[in-house]
Amino acid sequence: MILSIEGLSKKYGNIQALKNVSFSVPEGSVFGILGPNGSGKTTLLGTVMNVIKPTSGGFKLFDEIPNAGHRKLIGTLLETPNFYHYLSGKKNLEISADIKGRGKEDIERVLEIVNLTDRKNSKFSTYSLGMKQRLAIASCLLGDPGVLVFDEPTNGLDPEGIAEIRSLIRKLYKDGKTIIMASHLLDEVEKVCTHVAILKKGVLLTTGDVNDILSSEDIVEIGAADLESLKTAVTALTNYTSIKTENNLVQLFYPFNTADLTAINNYCFSKGVILNHIQLKRKSLESKFFELTN
Amino acid sequence: MKLLHTEWLKLKGYRTFWVLTILSIISILGINYSVYSIKQSQTLANPQVALVMGDPFAFPHVWHTVAYISSFLLFIPGLMIITSLTNEYTFKTHRQNIIDGWSRNQFIHVKILMVIILSLFSMLIVFITSLLFGFISSKPFDFNEVQFIGYYFIQALSYGMVALLLSVLIKRSGLAIGVFFLYSYIIENFLGAFLNYGASSKITKNGPGDYLPLNTTDNLIPFPFFKGLIKLGTEPSVYVLLILSAVYLCLYYFFTVRKFSNDDL
Repeated sequence: MILSIEGLSKKYGNIQALKNVSFSVPEGSVFGILGPNGSGKTTLLGTVMNVIKPTSGGFKLFDEIPNAGHRKLIGTLLETPNFYHYLSGKKNLEISADIKGRGKEDIERVLEIVNLTDRKNSKFSTYSLGMKQRLAIASCLLGDPGVLVFDEPTNGLDPEGIAEIRSLIRKLYKDGKTIIMASHLLDEVEKVCTHVAILKKGVLLTTGDVNDILSSEDIVEIGAADLESLKTAVTALTNYTSIKTENNLVQLFYPFNTADLTAINNYCFSKGVILNHIQLKRKSLESKFFELTN
Repeated sequence: MKLLHTEWLKLKGYRTFWVLTILSIISILGINYSVYSIKQSQTLANPQVALVMGDPFAFPHVWHTVAYISSFLLFIPGLMIITSLTNEYTFKTHRQNIIDGWSRNQFIHVKILMVIILSLFSMLIVFITSLLFGFISSKPFDFNEVQFIGYYFIQALSYGMVALLLSVLIKRSGLAIGVFFLYSYIIENFLGAFLNYGASSKITKNGPGDYLPLNTTDNLIPFPFFKGLIKLGTEPSVYVLLILSAVYLCLYYFFTVRKFSNDDL
């Protein structure tokens, strides 16, 4: 595992920013930490980067007790781009490279990746929000680390910039990098992540493969005059993941695109239950997200 | 060394740092020259003054005199320390340095190393200034009383470490600078006088106020003029002051490192 969070809690006074959070990030994944604003994403990553002290619990990096050397192997953008305002973009990257123990020779390459070569000698204070963000991403890429941590990487970028960063993340993933990305944008996580952990008010709601958690599912609503015999009949059906009764209708949940209405109808008929209602419903990703976070 | 190189990269492009460096050199030379010229004009106009004063700018007294006068400018290296650390808080680069792979210990120790280097640099300026004024005067070169240059270094360390501690505690530059000036130039002198007065009922007398954190190092270099003429009470023993200075320096160090190691950054 690249990162294992073990029962992490953090309190700021009375506010519980993280409550007993545990999950693991496997190597080679694009791991999304998804949650609304104030759900504890940055606190979580800040703790992993040793800028925030946990109240209890801990974590491991590369299956070891974490130390400063581990952080040199990880390119991290936490919350906002943090640079010396009075220095140029290039000079700022020299400092980052110096701390990470990487040579200066990589600076031109990373500036090229984020399209900042033209402005590399301008002072950081003259950069636009999007340029600051891109410089921060360039800094993460210094020395080509195997693990990248991006906290809201598309913050402040225009649509074109957002598309560029997303394709950069996909490219890094293809190169075999492990990427941990915090975002409040469901769509972003869905588009680029392989795994996800969902946080709400500091509590881990769920974690796992992004397809298992976020992909929408088929819901088959069926109804019959005799609800009880319908219920007993459908329990013998296979393939569905769960069953629920709501408003005198039975809801059968199937993985995405696997529900077969004809087969269900036939089956019920063969059991002597005549359906008076059958409908396929699909939940949107948004309603799934709201369901998870509410 | 690697860590210092990184710190150098940060400071190299920071104009305020260079302005303050040049300012501290000029003002140390300037303030000593002002006192020197006042003394010259006074002794020319009034030969008796020369008799009473002796020649504070000649060897060996010049070490003591220049160290004393220059110590009034110790707020400049203090300011440099405060801006260097509070800048990091403002830009949140202290977080980024840790994220990029420094340990918290490394970060804060580089800053402590900067205090030492600035104090050494400041001491060097004072040493050279003393030499300059010493050679202007007619008396032969003499290393007696050169210990005051060493005391000046301890005093500079003490001011620098207080500046660093305040920066770590307060984090905001304006407030840290304000508290630094208020404490070092007003509160402590006031408190010192108050404590001494309470202890001995005579304001000029020495007392517990002499052993407040910054007064302790200030008193290492007593008032250098009219040496033989007036004694302001019994002066505190140098050894006691040195030991106490060491204790205070250890405390500043301890609390600075502890605060930075345990904080949410």
